[in-house]
Amino acid sequence: MAVQLSNQRANQSLDWITLSIFVALVATGWVMIYSVGYGNSGYPQDLGEFMFQTQIGRQSIWLFISFVAFLLLMTVDWQVWRTVAYFIYITGIVLLLLVPFLGKEINGQKAWFAFGWFTFQPAELAKFGTALALSSYLNSSTNVLQSLQSRITAIGIFVLPVLLILLQPDAGSALVFLSFFIVLYREGFSPGPYIIGLVMIVLFVLTFIYEPFYVSTALIALTGTIFVNQFRMRKIYWWIGYVVVLGLIVFAIRQQFYWTSWLANTAVCFALGYWHYERNKNRGNFPIMVGLFLCVVFSFTTSYITNNILQEHQRTRIKVWLKPEECDPQGELYNVLQSKMAIGGGGLSGKGFLEGPMTKLNYVPEQSTDFIFCTIGEEYGFFGSTLIIVLFVILLYRIINIAERQRANFSRYYAYCIAGILFVHFAINIGMTMGFFPIIGIPLPFISKGGTSLLGFTTMMAVLLKLDSNRYSI
Amino acid sequence: MATRDIFQERQLVVKGMIIVMGLVLIGRALSLQVLDREFQKRASATGIDKVIVHPGRGLIYDRNNKLMLNNEALYDIMVTYNELNPQMDTMKLCRLLQISKEEFLANINKDFKNIRYSKAKPYLFLSKVTPEVCTRFQEYLFEFPGFSIDLKNVRSYPYKCAAQVLGYISEVSQKNIDDAHGIYAKGDIIGSTGLEFEYEQYIRGTKGINYVLKDNFGRPLGPYRGGIADSMSVAGKDIEASIDIELQQYGEELMAGKSGSIVAIEPETGDILAMISAPTYDPNLLAINKNRGQFFRELQADTRKPFFDRTVMAKYPPGSIFKPLVALIGLQEGVLWPDKGLACGGGFKYNNLTVKCVHNHGYLKDVAHGIGESCNNYFCTVFKDIIDKYGFSNARQGYQTFINHLYDFGLGKPLDLDYPNEKGGNVPSVSYYDRLYPRERGGWYSTTIVSMGIGQGEIQMTTIQMANLAATIANRGHFYTPHLIKRFKDGTPIPVRFTTRHQTRIQAKHFEPVIDGMELAVLIGTAQNAQIPGIDIVGKTGTVQNPQNKNKDHSVFYGFAPKYNPKIAVAAYVEYGGWGSTVASPIASLLIEKYLRGTVMRKEMETKIKQKVLTNYDN
Repeated sequence: MAVQLSNQRANQSLDWITLSIFVALVATGWVMIYSVGYGNSGYPQDLGEFMFQTQIGRQSIWLFISFVAFLLLMTVDWQVWRTVAYFIYITGIVLLLLVPFLGKEINGQKAWFAFGWFTFQPAELAKFGTALALSSYLNSSTNVLQSLQSRITAIGIFVLPVLLILLQPDAGSALVFLSFFIVLYREGFSPGPYIIGLVMIVLFVLTFIYEPFYVSTALIALTGTIFVNQFRMRKIYWWIGYVVVLGLIVFAIRQQFYWTSWLANTAVCFALGYWHYERNKNRGNFPIMVGLFLCVVFSFTTSYITNNILQEHQRTRIKVWLKPEECDPQGELYNVLQSKMAIGGGGLSGKGFLEGPMTKLNYVPEQSTDFIFCTIGEEYGFFGSTLIIVLFVILLYRIINIAERQRANFSRYYAYCIAGILFVHFAINIGMTMGFFPIIGIPLPFISKGGTSLLGFTTMMAVLLKLDSNRYSI
Repeated sequence: MATRDIFQERQLVVKGMIIVMGLVLIGRALSLQVLDREFQKRASATGIDKVIVHPGRGLIYDRNNKLMLNNEALYDIMVTYNELNPQMDTMKLCRLLQISKEEFLANINKDFKNIRYSKAKPYLFLSKVTPEVCTRFQEYLFEFPGFSIDLKNVRSYPYKCAAQVLGYISEVSQKNIDDAHGIYAKGDIIGSTGLEFEYEQYIRGTKGINYVLKDNFGRPLGPYRGGIADSMSVAGKDIEASIDIELQQYGEELMAGKSGSIVAIEPETGDILAMISAPTYDPNLLAINKNRGQFFRELQADTRKPFFDRTVMAKYPPGSIFKPLVALIGLQEGVLWPDKGLACGGGFKYNNLTVKCVHNHGYLKDVAHGIGESCNNYFCTVFKDIIDKYGFSNARQGYQTFINHLYDFGLGKPLDLDYPNEKGGNVPSVSYYDRLYPRERGGWYSTTIVSMGIGQGEIQMTTIQMANLAATIANRGHFYTPHLIKRFKDGTPIPVRFTTRHQTRIQAKHFEPVIDGMELAVLIGTAQNAQIPGIDIVGKTGTVQNPQNKNKDHSVFYGFAPKYNPKIAVAAYVEYGGWGSTVASPIASLLIEKYLRGTVMRKEMETKIKQKVLTNYDN
């Protein structure tokens, strides 16, 4: 107590940049939900009816609850979170365990507890609890993440809720937990696996769009290029020769000699690699060859899995994302298309408040929750969309800066956790409405309608701001 | 300090990731909202409409490339309730579409609680609007938002004949829609009878789909994604039928006022040249238009049953035209020889049984004269000899041998032509007779069933089977399954069953005496008024007792011409026609003349036949 008192004067200020962006985003959300609900006929005059019968009314009540919660959380001592971290985490896990039994089914997911009109999503609590628990664990000793066991424990802390959430099933919320890999990266995980993961995602996307045959052909040709580039003597002739070979291969593919050309391509590539190995004793090419081999195998494997093992609806989802031109615009593509059309309809400067015909007339599904960004895009156009994106980027950037200025390691871990969660929500949600990411049902933080989500993000921000305001307390 | 740098670097990586993602999203928004012209165009679009483009139904030509079945345009007026202008000039609309105010109200106010109708989707307002009315309405269409015009093809029949052969079309039933798995939708057309039914899958074509962008007033803005996802409609295949439409028309004229059927076949190929069921009707009556329902009910209520296709559905006892077939089987089985003679004592007598011979003739010196004079006694004897080939008490084996030959000729089961509702006639089986004449009550013998030898009794044939029999005799022992399709205009092969030769087990040499007999029938026997000067016609008449009216026997003739290298085989069955020679043979003969010569010289006979009215009642 003495410590706290002594530092009170110097450090009790909140980070105003973060707070004002947070408030601005919440306000934007309220206005957008108001606009969606306005529709063609406007709102009832009676206040009671307005508050309890309309979406915006209920959202206002949640906003008030969140505001009170924010004030209350500000009064809680900053040291408390480190100690109650595991308790909150375990409460979240228990609720996740209970929700399949006691929960209410909405849209085929058992992700909600319902008490009258009040619904509560335990996944939101689990996000907050996991952020605290992981931070607390990382804080437990100085050489944490040095041993394999501790790394597995750290990952286990957030994989456990992921497994429980997948049972609901709620792929969107589960995906959010992968954001904790960001804090682990910052705190010392080697970048290798991250790069491999990224390569795998890119290969998967390319394979789905262009077929493994073309992807592997391109990879092999690219490797050949690397080998050709290693020649020191008569380099230009080697280049000319290689370009001719590639031309022949392209010609053979055009003539539909697919596997012949593939084998020829591979043979040329291996021959070049072997040349350097024999003549120049260049062993550095060995890992390149192994990498190439693994990539090609991976490409064919994912292709096999998507075509033969995944179920039709899963394949359709991926297709909607990566090959929308092959989908029925009246069928599976409908949601994305309506969403993109609403955003595209906004043009440069938008149609104005309450003037977006698509969002107003319910052409966009889930438009007050997961697709709220459509309303922004349609009513405020490119300027509005950019403003929201920029606000999120500044907020995230600011949170990283906040993290890095903490003296207490726990606070830094926690800030990174929150940044990660917000980043995934922000990127996936906005990307999804514009067809850049597949449709994954997660809300846009602070803006989407949804009481638990608003309360959850408010709590995260409140704790973050409180921790930050006490950064000089140790 | 080294570790410090690593963390510094990693912090920058995370910040970089955030900024890159922000830039990517802004870039995406830029392309969607500002750069992409496609989305610019969609700026005012609120939806995509899936517009079905109906393909033209395949046409049907006759064997001489004359159009028998054509498409004509009719229009449907569609309406979308939500897009209506409440202030529109309703009276003007009614005037333009020639409907009353009551009709307007009834047509526009659907039961919107029913899921079939939606205020947001177009539904049928007025169907079967003629092109004239539609063209006028089109000019004022802009005054009536929410209304649209839909083109429907209707069939028309330039020759006003071959109604049953071509068949009619109707709207698909719910069962059709369910059975076809997505090929049909409500309001689509499907072939119900005749060729329209039989070749539906070829004639209907493939629907096209156009995706059209609409603004929030439902106005089309243009194709979605520049039409990249659209599919073209593919018109149905055109068919060249084996029918000779002029022959068909002529046959229908000859059959006017009568009931019965005529089938003409080209023996060499099995092509059906004409297929007439009388009474018939003008196919244009059943073309889809406002009055169709009424005509349909009238035709259905007609006691003469115009929908009952007598060429394939009516089963008639063949009568005397069965005799040449009995002779052929007798010759093949060795119980008869070409110069077998018989003195007809006025009928076939066996114990108490007598089958009277109705024709007055003397000694028959050979098979040919037996056929020519159509002697009942002669053929009862031959038939008895066939059945008793393995001994009198072994009638079963003899009869089985006999009916096996009948099956070879396509009797006793449907021929499987490309025409719906074909019946198989009747060839009683051994077990049928076992049940009818049980062993305990004496069983059955050749004499029990001897009337079959002259085509009476249980034996029944359809007219198409009679014509096919004539064609088989003309071919001296083989036939091709009769068919109405000659070819698809695009070269799609016709079903292989129509190009498969069916061979009987009667040797070719046995046909000569029989054909000579059929020639004699025309020259000196019962079918003399089938003679055509200058054309070598061969045939056989028959007269079949009418169980309903003794004075009104059915008249039947079948034959072919010319005798050598035959071009046409005909069977004509005229109900209540009396003697075969009075109506059936002149009709068949006129038809043959028409086909071989193109014109008919015997105008007197033609007029007489055309004017003849035959009913089941004594007049």
